[in-house]
Amino acid sequence: MGIRETQKRETRRRVLEAARDLFNEIGYEETTIRAVAERAGVSVGSVFTTFASKADVLSQVMDDRVDALYSELEHVARHMRGSVVDRLCSLFAIHYDFECRRVRLFLAHIAASFSPTLEASTVPYGRNHRFKGMIIDMLREGQTRGEVREDADLELILDTLMGAYAWNYRLAAAGRADHADMTAIMERQIRLIFHGLLPR
Amino acid sequence: MNHIPMHMTAPAIRPQKMTRRAMAKQQTREKVLQSARDLFIERGYEGATIRDIARAAGMSTGAVFASFADKNELFDAILNDDFAALLEPMQDAVVGATTAREALVGMFGAAYRAHAHQLPLIQAALAASWTRTPEAERLRRESMRPIRSLVLEVLERGVERGELAQRFDLRLIAEMVWDLFLAGYRPAAFDGVSVENQTEKLADRIDVVLTAIRT
Repeated sequence: MGIRETQKRETRRRVLEAARDLFNEIGYEETTIRAVAERAGVSVGSVFTTFASKADVLSQVMDDRVDALYSELEHVARHMRGSVVDRLCSLFAIHYDFECRRVRLFLAHIAASFSPTLEASTVPYGRNHRFKGMIIDMLREGQTRGEVREDADLELILDTLMGAYAWNYRLAAAGRADHADMTAIMERQIRLIFHGLLPR
Repeated sequence: MNHIPMHMTAPAIRPQKMTRRAMAKQQTREKVLQSARDLFIERGYEGATIRDIARAAGMSTGAVFASFADKNELFDAILNDDFAALLEPMQDAVVGATTAREALVGMFGAAYRAHAHQLPLIQAALAASWTRTPEAERLRRESMRPIRSLVLEVLERGVERGELAQRFDLRLIAEMVWDLFLAGYRPAAFDGVSVENQTEKLADRIDVVLTAIRT
């Protein structure tokens, strides 16, 4: 790798780290690219040669974060034990725990996904296919193990679970819940939904 | 079982006796709200400036700021009014319904219909709702309280009719259904999904929850 390429990578890494911390500390709206450049120790110009916009920076920050989480999770998920309900509860608990470590960052990510001026390059919240894939796999296994009705619409169950998962973050946004509270609520929601999925 | 009355009388907005000054102030406020609503719908939250809103209302920016501290507060006032106004059509939808499902789908469908012509406003509200101040959040919850109570009331009636089982935590279920309703604004506001499709999708999701508690 040439010196130029190495420098570029180093700039990218420093910008993403600075942005991640600033978004979480003072909020996404309040963070300027100038402030990010300053904290990263790079010029404003070099931020813009690497990223298209602040939204793009946020999107990259989140991408890198979930990459780390999922390479771990996809391995762990295969070795989870217990009923499908228990495993689903664990899966959501891991997410709440992970996102609540930098909850303001995550809330900014959700908020940005509702922005009307979303850029083509950004991956908004809610398009996390690995997360959804893991849940569908667990639901399918629930069917083979007789924990979930054969005729259940798994995509619909997935949508409903994801909706509950995401909107529980509103409690965090209102400062009324931490990761343990959200995990507890999600567990009750999962158990309720699964009660309706039992084979008859 | 204690019910919240179906038809709550709205608190009188205008007290009987109002000084001319207070009345002028009220009129200014309403004029600003109307112009702001039109502009937010037309241009979205970011696109409408206080200057534009003042011009459309035919007054100075100073006069706008006399009624509202900033654009955010103005926006919140519009949204809170909107949700307060939803109560009546939602109650109407509930009155004729014979099952909990019908009542819930009917009331939420009415809300989706009422909001269909002002989706940019809803987009902006959804984006802002994740990063609100605790005070703004409290006011919003306050303005939504009557419709949230209506959800719980529908479920309680379902239990009374013997349609829904008694042993479940109705508050938890009411919250879930409410969240699914709010989540349903997203496809309409961002993916151009029609009100009918939006309502159908919500009905399916509500079914996932209700199936669990049907007798």
